Amino acid sequence: MIGFDNAGKRFGTLDAVKDFSMTIRDEEILGLLGPNGAGKTTLMLMMGTVYRPTSGKISVNGLDVVHHPNDVRKIIGIAFQDPRVDGILGAFDVLNWHLKMTTNLDKVEREDRVEKVLRAVDLWDARNKRTWLMSGGMRKKVEDCKVLAQRPKIAVFDEPTAFLDVPSRLLMWKMIRELRDEGSTVIVATNMMDEAERLSDRVAIVNLGKLVAIDTPEQLKSKTKGGEVLELTLGDGQECPADLLTQFSEVQDVSQENNKVTVYLSGGRLLLPKIVETLTNRGVKIDSVHLKEVTLEDVFLNYTGHRLE
Amino acid sequence: MARRDIATLFRTPWIIISRALAFIIQLFVFAYLISGLVVKFPGFFPYYAVGSVVSVVASISFIIGYDIFEEAEEGLLDYLLTLPIPRREFIIGRALGGAIRAMIYTIPMFALVAVLENFSNPLSLIAAVLDLFLLAFGVTGLSITVAVSVRSANRFDVVLALLELAVSRASTALYPLAFMPSYVAAIAPFSPVTFAADSTRAALYGLSLDLTGLVGLLAFVAIFLGLGATFYFRRLEGGVYA
Repeated sequence: MIGFDNAGKRFGTLDAVKDFSMTIRDEEILGLLGPNGAGKTTLMLMMGTVYRPTSGKISVNGLDVVHHPNDVRKIIGIAFQDPRVDGILGAFDVLNWHLKMTTNLDKVEREDRVEKVLRAVDLWDARNKRTWLMSGGMRKKVEDCKVLAQRPKIAVFDEPTAFLDVPSRLLMWKMIRELRDEGSTVIVATNMMDEAERLSDRVAIVNLGKLVAIDTPEQLKSKTKGGEVLELTLGDGQECPADLLTQFSEVQDVSQENNKVTVYLSGGRLLLPKIVETLTNRGVKIDSVHLKEVTLEDVFLNYTGHRLE
Repeated sequence: MARRDIATLFRTPWIIISRALAFIIQLFVFAYLISGLVVKFPGFFPYYAVGSVVSVVASISFIIGYDIFEEAEEGLLDYLLTLPIPRREFIIGRALGGAIRAMIYTIPMFALVAVLENFSNPLSLIAAVLDLFLLAFGVTGLSITVAVSVRSANRFDVVLALLELAVSRASTALYPLAFMPSYVAAIAPFSPVTFAADSTRAALYGLSLDLTGLVGLLAFVAIFLGLGATFYFRRLEGGVYA
């Protein structure tokens, strides 16, 4: 179990993470969902003992990260957002060295494990190619493979499928799930809604260094007002008179960001013609209308007031 | 960690070859030429030969600072800090790796000078190597301290280059104290390169132990290894490169 107890990290005058409290359960995949700069990476680096928290407490499997940093490092593996690999080495050597530093495997076991993981991600033929000559996607796979080969008790992936094509993304998700099934606790930081939704057992929404909400994707969606979302795209410079829409009892909330209006409501199909008519009568130009079920993106918008770009 | 740092030296053998060639040219062209011109100080060539080896050790030992700064900029340092290595071992490993790397690099040049100058006493050779190693160890600590104390890449380059220039040029490595301008002579006795150069020459030519040099070197190692370790982790774990 991993616990954040009012944890904070301050860089100069900036609070990258503030009063952050959360518990990550054993053998779950927790998706940390938030925009760039939300504090996800700082949270992970504090957990990994790279940064020391400036306030609060973080414990990993009962070990305080400040007082027992080396014991924490022995059970944790981090795959960074930007690949952190020695460019002059090939993938095989990068992974072999990583396992040498992080596991007690002997040479034969190490090489066997490296071969298996490289074959699984289709990098075996390129195993000796220097990583700085590889494409972004290949380098990202090597970074992820460090943790997949290490199989640590706590596995942390920062944007694991950034730069990857669709088949590779699906494969990576499968391998991360397998890691969880083998007994690892997995933390996946992402700003991709579908990744958080499809991969995570629970999702923690992080914004401006704070925990906004945490639950299963289904629970988060069901908690969102109304259950349906009407998205309206208005003409340039048009303002939506929210008070006109909230007079309908089925409308729970209205928010506008630029020319995009999001209406949280129930019984949308019946209400849609009335809403369009009301706005048109008020002289509001509507370019498009889209009614849909609540998605994690709507949950994020609902909690933070911003879309996740 | 030490092994990793040493291995990086052999990934670019052309650097070793080019620097060794530059050393040979400097020795056989510049030193021979100048020793013919210098009339006030007979025996300048042997003085310069040993001093230039000391100078090379100092110069190569500074490289670890550039490596660490580059690693920090590329984010590789964050990765290294996640590895299960106690911090004390980590920093000693890096300084040791940088020092051994400098020694490996310099040994062929030292061997050339030993052959030219006919140094054959094993004890004095061991003492000289120890002096060179202590200098290398201390300079790597100094270089690491600077690398983690300066944030801007341009400022870092300037600071390290000036520091390298100061400890090497304001020292007795390449010219004797008696011939230095007074403002250089005032600081040169305190340079770690002076400690190493004087101590190495005493071991090789005088077959004696230069206690001042040795104690100076040990103090230099203790101070900068300690400072390097303290700054390294305090600054990095505080997120200096974030």
